[in-house]
Amino acid sequence: MTERKTGIYLCGGCGIGEAIDVAALEGVAKKEFKLDSKTHACLCGDDGVAMIRADLEAGINQVAIAACSSRVMTDRFGFEPIQVLRADLREKVIWSHPANHEDTQALAEDSVRMVLTMATKVKAPEPYVEGEWSSRILVMGGGVTGLAAAAQAAALGHEVLLLERSDRLGGRALDSSKRLPHRPPYAQPAANDIGDLVASVTGNAKITARLGCTVTQTSGMPGRFVVNLSDGSVETVGAIVVATGWRPYDASKLGHLGYGASPDVVTGVELEGMLKAGKVTRKSNGAPVKSVAFVQCAGSRDPDHLPYCSSICCATSLKQALELIEAEPATNAYVVYEEMRTPGVMEELYRTAQAAGVIFMKGKVKTVGADLTVTVADELIGEDIPLAGLDMVVLATGMVPNSTNTDAPSPAEGAEQLAGDIDPEVPFPVAGYCGDAPAAHAKRPQAAPEGGSLLNLQYRQGPHLPVLHDGFADSHYICFPYETRRTGIYTAGPVRRPMDWAEAAEDASGAVLKAVQAVRSASAGAALHPRVGDLSFPKINLNQCTKCKRCTVECPFGAIDEDEQTYPIVNATRCRRCGTCMGACPVRTISFDNYSVDMLSSMIKAVKVPDEFSGKPRILIMACENDAIPALDMAGIKRNQWSAHVRILPVRCLGSVSLLCISDALSVGYDGVMMMGCKPGDDYQCHFVKGSAMAAERLSKVGETLKSMMLEPERVTQAEASIADADRLPKVIDAFVEQITAIGFNPFKGF
Amino acid sequence: MNAPSPTPTKKYDLSFARWVYDNIDGGDRMALCMQCGTCSGSCPIGTQMDHGPRKLFMMIRAGMKEAVLTSNTLWNCVSCYNCVVRCPRKVPVAYILHDLATVAVREGYAEARNSDNARFAKAFWWSAAKYGRTDERLVTGKYYFSFGIGEGYKRGMANLPIAMGMIKTKRMHLGMPHKCSNTGELHKILAKAAEIEARDHGKQG
Ligand code: SF4
Ligand code: SF4
Ligand code: SF4
Ligand code: SF4
Repeated sequence: MTERKTGIYLCGGCGIGEAIDVAALEGVAKKEFKLDSKTHACLCGDDGVAMIRADLEAGINQVAIAACSSRVMTDRFGFEPIQVLRADLREKVIWSHPANHEDTQALAEDSVRMVLTMATKVKAPEPYVEGEWSSRILVMGGGVTGLAAAAQAAALGHEVLLLERSDRLGGRALDSSKRLPHRPPYAQPAANDIGDLVASVTGNAKITARLGCTVTQTSGMPGRFVVNLSDGSVETVGAIVVATGWRPYDASKLGHLGYGASPDVVTGVELEGMLKAGKVTRKSNGAPVKSVAFVQCAGSRDPDHLPYCSSICCATSLKQALELIEAEPATNAYVVYEEMRTPGVMEELYRTAQAAGVIFMKGKVKTVGADLTVTVADELIGEDIPLAGLDMVVLATGMVPNSTNTDAPSPAEGAEQLAGDIDPEVPFPVAGYCGDAPAAHAKRPQAAPEGGSLLNLQYRQGPHLPVLHDGFADSHYICFPYETRRTGIYTAGPVRRPMDWAEAAEDASGAVLKAVQAVRSASAGAALHPRVGDLSFPKINLNQCTKCKRCTVECPFGAIDEDEQTYPIVNATRCRRCGTCMGACPVRTISFDNYSVDMLSSMIKAVKVPDEFSGKPRILIMACENDAIPALDMAGIKRNQWSAHVRILPVRCLGSVSLLCISDALSVGYDGVMMMGCKPGDDYQCHFVKGSAMAAERLSKVGETLKSMMLEPERVTQAEASIADADRLPKVIDAFVEQITAIGFNPFKGF
Repeated sequence: MNAPSPTPTKKYDLSFARWVYDNIDGGDRMALCMQCGTCSGSCPIGTQMDHGPRKLFMMIRAGMKEAVLTSNTLWNCVSCYNCVVRCPRKVPVAYILHDLATVAVREGYAEARNSDNARFAKAFWWSAAKYGRTDERLVTGKYYFSFGIGEGYKRGMANLPIAMGMIKTKRMHLGMPHKCSNTGELHKILAKAAEIEARDHGKQG
């Protein structure tokens, strides 16, 4: 390896030069690190950047910059492929602390010490690019979502393999009458145009569709998944879009709503079929349907059935009532609802239905008699109202995701993997709240959904695509849609959350863009969400590995398998570079080219910890780069102030923090340690899904160790941070500093 | 007139709502009522009503015909139009109440309820239609005696001092009732209006 030559640049602009003594920082580099540095009055200006470029020409091969936050000016300070290390003197130093104060100066000097220490511990990452890569995309499911996904992927130039388990393309849309409105003015049911979508796919040379075909086994990793199909063939694909859709909730479980008591109590799906056939009659006697009641939330939003809102049944009932009235204007149509939920612009359809004379009643259905009398506990009148003399009762049953293969038996092993393994085992309190803290996170019990695995993944962590408590394939609803916990495999449509036709088609585009990114990044050795473009990947020194399996178990993405001798093997393109494996490894033998336990520990130790006679505590905050660091930057931008006694060390994810970092900090005299990261649990905000939960779990075991060292367990805590916490986090920090000050100095100080 | 409202053979008549939507002045807009309660909240007389417009409309949907047509909401509305102005769904609440009151009279619900307001409204209309003016003595007299001779006399005597005071300050006159200049024309106009009404809407009692 060539000798490391780091160019060090300090910026005096943006008020840094006025608020701290930058020359003293140069002194730190010179005296403590024997390194020359250059200060510029405006480093990000053309002149400053030209200065760095000139040094790069002259042979420096690493750049360390102490200026603004690493999250800004990345274009100005981007010198690919040279690695750039940043220390923040602006947002988290001068903007958040008083100018020309000795504590602020000490903070700035420590920031320089940390980045210069980092510079000695990292090297530019060498990406994993071995072997052949496929850019073909596998789409599972030939319904609206799958068809739209196939068409989109083909439009982006990718070969597509489209699998459909039944013998026809089009899915449930084929059995529907009209579809929900999907373009302005959104006021009327729209024509069913599934035929056009099917035709656009079957006529596309880039798409190979196989009917009656399912996946029997999947191995490999993004860029080269090897997929065995039920027709006996074996295919290699780069990424997978799971668009397996939904099925209606089993109405036979809805006896309390009259299902089964009379043939004239039907489900919304059954009525849809009658509308499609153009003949809606009473099943019992073939008589016309002159009055009908729709029972909303039939099984949905009911803790005994589906705990969630299925999102489409309200609009669907509106559409069906309108279709009935269109066919026979005198039809008396009642819709009994608890809340009318018309997401998006579907409100317009609601208005149309009202204007057409559909009668709405708000309340809960108490009983549905065999004579079709629907008794409603009406909330707006405050009485039980019997709707009698109806010809038909329609139960608006909800959506169940096809996150498993219901045709196949549950796997003998690994099914438990499906059941919310996202919760930390032990409930733990949420630290870092000023005022009322939310309830402690507790594990929510959940049964594994029925059925076999869709993909039958040959992963160490089991065959399934992980699901959340409600059985939907795990993909964060808001922050990270489509992402599953298996890199390169994306979910789209109702398999990830309830949605209608138009939304599903849009969802397909999102998932396809992810899949395209996955195949392109795989061949470049670059990471995907959330560390997009990161070229580092975990390397395991097997000589030291004790085969403890922590890494293979804790990796949130199932990236690490085991070889015949049960040694861990990293599947590089499955990895999202969170470092949870690194934080888990008890012998610290997992590291990245530019990120390691040694690097973190050295940076922690590089800080000058004042002795107890100074009266100044020193507190370490290991803050997640995804939300906590941006929130702290934002706090700085808002000029929110916090204690200058803390030292902030950005980490990839709390999951990457080894307990060793904490014990190192305490042994060199830090008085307290705070881990600041995203919300763990089944409603996680952790960008690596389980990283902060893993950190919490590890932390729950630290208390005993601290006690055995005669240290107060309160010296170490975990705080939740979200991207919007710019005003809260400074208070959280100050409260912790106060708490630590009250406990007193770390007795290990100075040893 | 003529399409009579469905007979309340039961307390909940599921065809009533559609009948109101189709036959009552403003009923088509009532179909759009989203039960926000702005009308009832805005009504200065709300506390004097047994239900208030919002709830009354929901009762219509539930088919509670009898309860609706005997409700005092229909009669206590003072036509201030607060609700009409404020309704976010542009439901002409007051019109609907008035038209429902008409139905209540026509189908005997008002009588059955023995509503004061209904009697007064009848006396008022009698005078207006006959003379083109409302004559205080005749309207009050007709209203009082609608309760029967004895009751009418009692009420008349009880209010005599007020009447005397009004006469003294020229607020009420003695002698022949005031009329508009051409009552014959008026009667023709009203007859024509009734005819048009019957032809165009098939309602109005
Ligand atoms: S969409 Fe409507 S019917 Fe369906 S679960 Fe949600 S609220 Fe209930
Ligand atoms: S734990 Fe994170 S860094 Fe380690 S292998 Fe898994 S995804 Fe990669
Ligand atoms: S204000 Fe209008 S929409 Fe609201 S409850 Fe009254 S009538 Fe209905
Ligand atoms: S018009 Fe009648 S119902 Fe409406 S606010 Fe006035 S009094 Fe109340």
